[in-house]
Amino acid sequence: MGSGGRFGVGTGNSGAYMTAIAEPIQFEEEIRSLIQARFDAPPVSGGSFTALLGLSANQAVGLLHEPGAGEVSTSAAGLGHPLGCSPIFPSNAALADRAPSFPFFTAADSPASISGGGPSPPLKAEPPDSDSSPSLPVPIEKPRRPAKRKDREKQKAKGPSKKIKTAEEHTEGDQLPYVHVRARRGQATDSHSLSERARREKINARMKLLQELVPGCSKITGTALVLDEIINHVQSLQRQVEFLSMRLAAVNPRIDFGGLDGFLMAECGPLAASNGRGGVSLDPASWSSAPAPGTGLRKDLRPSQQSSTAWVYPYALIDHATSLFGYGAADSVPLNWNQSKTDL
Amino acid sequence: MQVRNSFKLALLKQMLLGFQLSAVSSNSMSVPERKNAIKLSADAAMVFARGSTRWTRGLVAGLSENSNNEDLLRGILGKKYERLSLPCRSSWKIPRSRKILKRCLGLCSRRKKATATQHDVKSGSTLARRLVKKRIQVLKKLLPGGESMAGFSLLDQTLDYAVSLKAQVDIMRRLLKISKASNLNK
Repeated sequence: MGSGGRFGVGTGNSGAYMTAIAEPIQFEEEIRSLIQARFDAPPVSGGSFTALLGLSANQAVGLLHEPGAGEVSTSAAGLGHPLGCSPIFPSNAALADRAPSFPFFTAADSPASISGGGPSPPLKAEPPDSDSSPSLPVPIEKPRRPAKRKDREKQKAKGPSKKIKTAEEHTEGDQLPYVHVRARRGQATDSHSLSERARREKINARMKLLQELVPGCSKITGTALVLDEIINHVQSLQRQVEFLSMRLAAVNPRIDFGGLDGFLMAECGPLAASNGRGGVSLDPASWSSAPAPGTGLRKDLRPSQQSSTAWVYPYALIDHATSLFGYGAADSVPLNWNQSKTDL
Repeated sequence: MQVRNSFKLALLKQMLLGFQLSAVSSNSMSVPERKNAIKLSADAAMVFARGSTRWTRGLVAGLSENSNNEDLLRGILGKKYERLSLPCRSSWKIPRSRKILKRCLGLCSRRKKATATQHDVKSGSTLARRLVKKRIQVLKKLLPGGESMAGFSLLDQTLDYAVSLKAQVDIMRRLLKISKASNLNK
């Protein structure tokens, strides 16, 4: 993971040694932050949102992967491309209304109507969208649903049940915040089976995500085998934790972890000029002044039992800091967040 | 990976806090004790960083069963400890009603099977269903707090848990690496 020579020279920037890394990985970080939304979003988007849609597997998966994608075609035109910035928020309400109608268009073949602006605008819209969209359609939707939805479905069910519908038919000024549920040919359209189907779609989507998580699982077909792999993976992770904790216990007495803690805290204190070690303030004055010495059991993170070991350790830490992810001070210096890179 | 930088950072911070609180660095502990303290710190840190989810609460419940751990848990989790210990969202009621349901369904299906004709070869779907059911049971035992979850939430929580575990393992590995490296320097 890179050598020590990567330290930046930014003066007056406590995260300086990360700035050099910042540039090329900025994109990565953006993308990661978008993907990270998935980490939080699934409970939100996987909830009422998909439950209301009787979608085929593709569509549901497409939905989950790019939930904000559907609105791109028509509404996105009005919004322009930089969807990631805050100006999008006022228009989100309108988006959210439309979004439920469109999601599955992006999924499978997405011909003419919704080509979408590529994955990135939809992804960028995903975090804000997944917040508002489940909340908006759901409360308003229920009263209308029984009436309108069934009519449409009956039409659909008889019609040429292709799943790809042109967006135009829906955008006929349809600002109504209810969900068009499309039934496929030959499938029952009563609400029970629809919700059943929605539930199954949700579960299948989760299975897919799990398959992606576990390495080598995507080739496996069949729920039982996939579950097998998942179980093995989780068990191996748990065993690894045990094993690593044992190793840490064996190595531990020589390490003063309290020193590391104080070091992390000192980083947010003085935003110092770079020293020879690469831009982190480590001069003795700031080190000893910022965190006052204390005993090891204090909850506030002070370097305990200060001796030369505490000095050696942080330096050693910096030398090998590239192996540790680029951390910025978590709370106090928000600037560093944009620059802090990780070997995630 | 789906894990945020801030998650890992919070994890690391709390883990180190836990190490400090339990004084692993002193020479007074034996290796197994130290290992338990480290593992506890790591788990508590993971809970802290993740927040409130079903597996988190299950994990806290499991950890606090041992009275020795309570102090360390409180130290690391702080205010969150109380919040996580609460039985939220009627989590006690659901398993009870589910158990009742399952019992009824079990009785009904058993009665049906008794009256139905016996087939020598199980149909494909039922066999698959049995296999899946077995796996799900195993998964429930693996996942902290998994007993009270079913179906979708089980899978969802498994995903969450697996991702967090991965991050935990990653952090611990890096800690180990660093400590080894700093050892060499000395």
